[in-house]
Amino acid sequence: MALLEIRDLHAAVEGEEILRGINLTVDRGEVHAVMGPNGSGKSTLSKVLAGHDGYEVTNGQVLYDGKDLLDLEAEDRARLGVFLGFQYPVEIPGVANTYFLKAALNAMRKHRGEPELDAVAFLKLIRERAKMVNMDENLLKRAVNEGFSGGEKKRNEIFQMAVLEPQLAILDETDSGLDIDALRIVSQGVNAMRSADRAFLLITHYQRLLDHIEPDHVHVLVNGRIQQSGGKELAEELERSGYALFEENAA
Amino acid sequence: MEAVSEQKSVYLQAFEAADRLDGWPEERRQQAIQAFESQGFPTRRMEAWKHAKLTALTQQTFKPVPEGGELSAATVERFADVAGAVRLVFVDGRFSPRYSDLDAAVPGLKVQSLAAAFREDDGLAHEQFGRVMDAESHAFAALNTAFAVDGAVVDVAPNTVLDAPVVVIFANSRKASGHAVYPRVLLRAGSNAEVRLVQQYLGENEDAALIAPVSEVLLHDNASVRIQHFQDESLPSWHLGAMRVRVPRDARFALHTVTAGARFGRTDVQVDLEGPGADVSMNGLYLSDGERYADYHTVVRHVTDHSHSQQLFKGVLTGRGESVFDGMIHVARDAQQTDSEQQNNNLLLSPLALAHSNPRLEIYADDVKCAHGSTVGELDADALFYLRSRGIARDDAQALLTFAFANDVLGSMIEPALAPQARDRLLSVLPGGNLLEAPE
Repeated sequence: MALLEIRDLHAAVEGEEILRGINLTVDRGEVHAVMGPNGSGKSTLSKVLAGHDGYEVTNGQVLYDGKDLLDLEAEDRARLGVFLGFQYPVEIPGVANTYFLKAALNAMRKHRGEPELDAVAFLKLIRERAKMVNMDENLLKRAVNEGFSGGEKKRNEIFQMAVLEPQLAILDETDSGLDIDALRIVSQGVNAMRSADRAFLLITHYQRLLDHIEPDHVHVLVNGRIQQSGGKELAEELERSGYALFEENAA
Repeated sequence: MEAVSEQKSVYLQAFEAADRLDGWPEERRQQAIQAFESQGFPTRRMEAWKHAKLTALTQQTFKPVPEGGELSAATVERFADVAGAVRLVFVDGRFSPRYSDLDAAVPGLKVQSLAAAFREDDGLAHEQFGRVMDAESHAFAALNTAFAVDGAVVDVAPNTVLDAPVVVIFANSRKASGHAVYPRVLLRAGSNAEVRLVQQYLGENEDAALIAPVSEVLLHDNASVRIQHFQDESLPSWHLGAMRVRVPRDARFALHTVTAGARFGRTDVQVDLEGPGADVSMNGLYLSDGERYADYHTVVRHVTDHSHSQQLFKGVLTGRGESVFDGMIHVARDAQQTDSEQQNNNLLLSPLALAHSNPRLEIYADDVKCAHGSTVGELDADALFYLRSRGIARDDAQALLTFAFANDVLGSMIEPALAPQARDRLLSVLPGGNLLEAPE
């Protein structure tokens, strides 16, 4: 059974159809890249998968580990191992990063029937994972994303992913707006997390990310549909020709 | 209107039936009852009272509470417990030697009850009682001046710096039900003196009671006064308080206030910045759940140049809770270089909750910096989704975000001894507050 199976997924925002029939299968251990121009539906796909209330699924089905994913609340999806790295991570004044992560981690452990982590074990875990993404420990004590630079916010997403250890990580334009050093750090974090039972869905606008994270499959999303799928050579082709060709096909 | 005039005569009759004092205290009480007689209770036609539903209050007659009320252990346990502090406890408005502790008074600090101050013809009481607060324009302050039989009189001599706060607790017994209590606080801080004052209001009256406190606070040059105010009256209470503060040259006044109790809780604060270098900071949190009504009216008057004021008031409303924040900043013509900011943010956790926010600026000087802002809204949907996408349940995410919103104010309490109680009251109005066993 595939980890994620998306069948003919249609979704709309405020009555306007954005996704117009997505089909995509992701197996454990795989890294899929979904590339597309602005407005193609990339972010909508990631938010629909994560369970954002603002999107209406008008048709289709999404199976996650054989379960009907669309039937679950956002928090239940997260507890089953779905993680969304936000394109625009949200600032939450007044809530310390560590407190937030502890609440999240313990909610997941509780769901799995595991005991809550004690303070010592938790601190050890987050220190170790912070090191993995070169995250300044001072940022852990600060309010979630408040006053963080763009690069620090994206790094915080990867850090959270490293702590929560999802089965399916959907990274929505995690590479956008990063300078090359930050991109390397983020990519190293993702590469270190690659494993046989974990899958990644990298949603990106730029082929550059794929120089650092080698995908198994590349999909071109245009106008709410996957127009073409292939190996990493497809990304290289995109780099040369741009999206124009696919947009013509889609039209 | 007949009902109102009838009410007035009832209060006048009660006044005439009460024991007479001598000399100036009696004169000021007479003036105050006259002031009440001529204005009556406020009506909703008055701008400052347009949201205040006082009918149930004015239709009932609240006579001064008789002596002899006793407190339960549960009430006493809630008293602010501050090591090394002088503590004055008033039961139903009367000084209670049993619960008070005046032993910690240090040289330079004089603390006594208002009843004693009247008997001794105390200089501070003579200077301040009914003289800092204007009874002409505030019906409940007028009632307090007319009826107050006791209260706290705190005098801090010049150059005295107090390490521990002075704690003043007004607790209502079950006997207060159906009656009125008039707590009074007079505080004077001499030049260069520094003092913290705690005002805690609580009670166990099971039926409506009228609690109408007045505080008159006078600072001298370069003094510092920091007040922690915590209103946690029993649910059936009407709490209508007024505080008036005068801040002269280089003096600093800070108020931190929490309104967590009473079916109707309103506190009016007027602060006058009367000298260059005067600095005022006021932070408040009000919680309104069930059908409770919480109200702050603040007036900050910048009278002379180079003074600074800052205000942050936040409200958390659930159920059918209703709140008012009305904040007036007045900058006089000569008050150049005034720096003033005011923020009021309200969080509605229920579709039936209602928050009124009314920031007002009156600026007559032309070289000033005044900023104000006001919001009434729900929790940020993006932040909620962010938390839920990390596995945190919706209720818990709501509680966490609400706590964070309120903790912005609760985190800066002047008296930490009351913080656990304030936090518990906040958690009790949150859905799913159980996640928050130990927020940092």
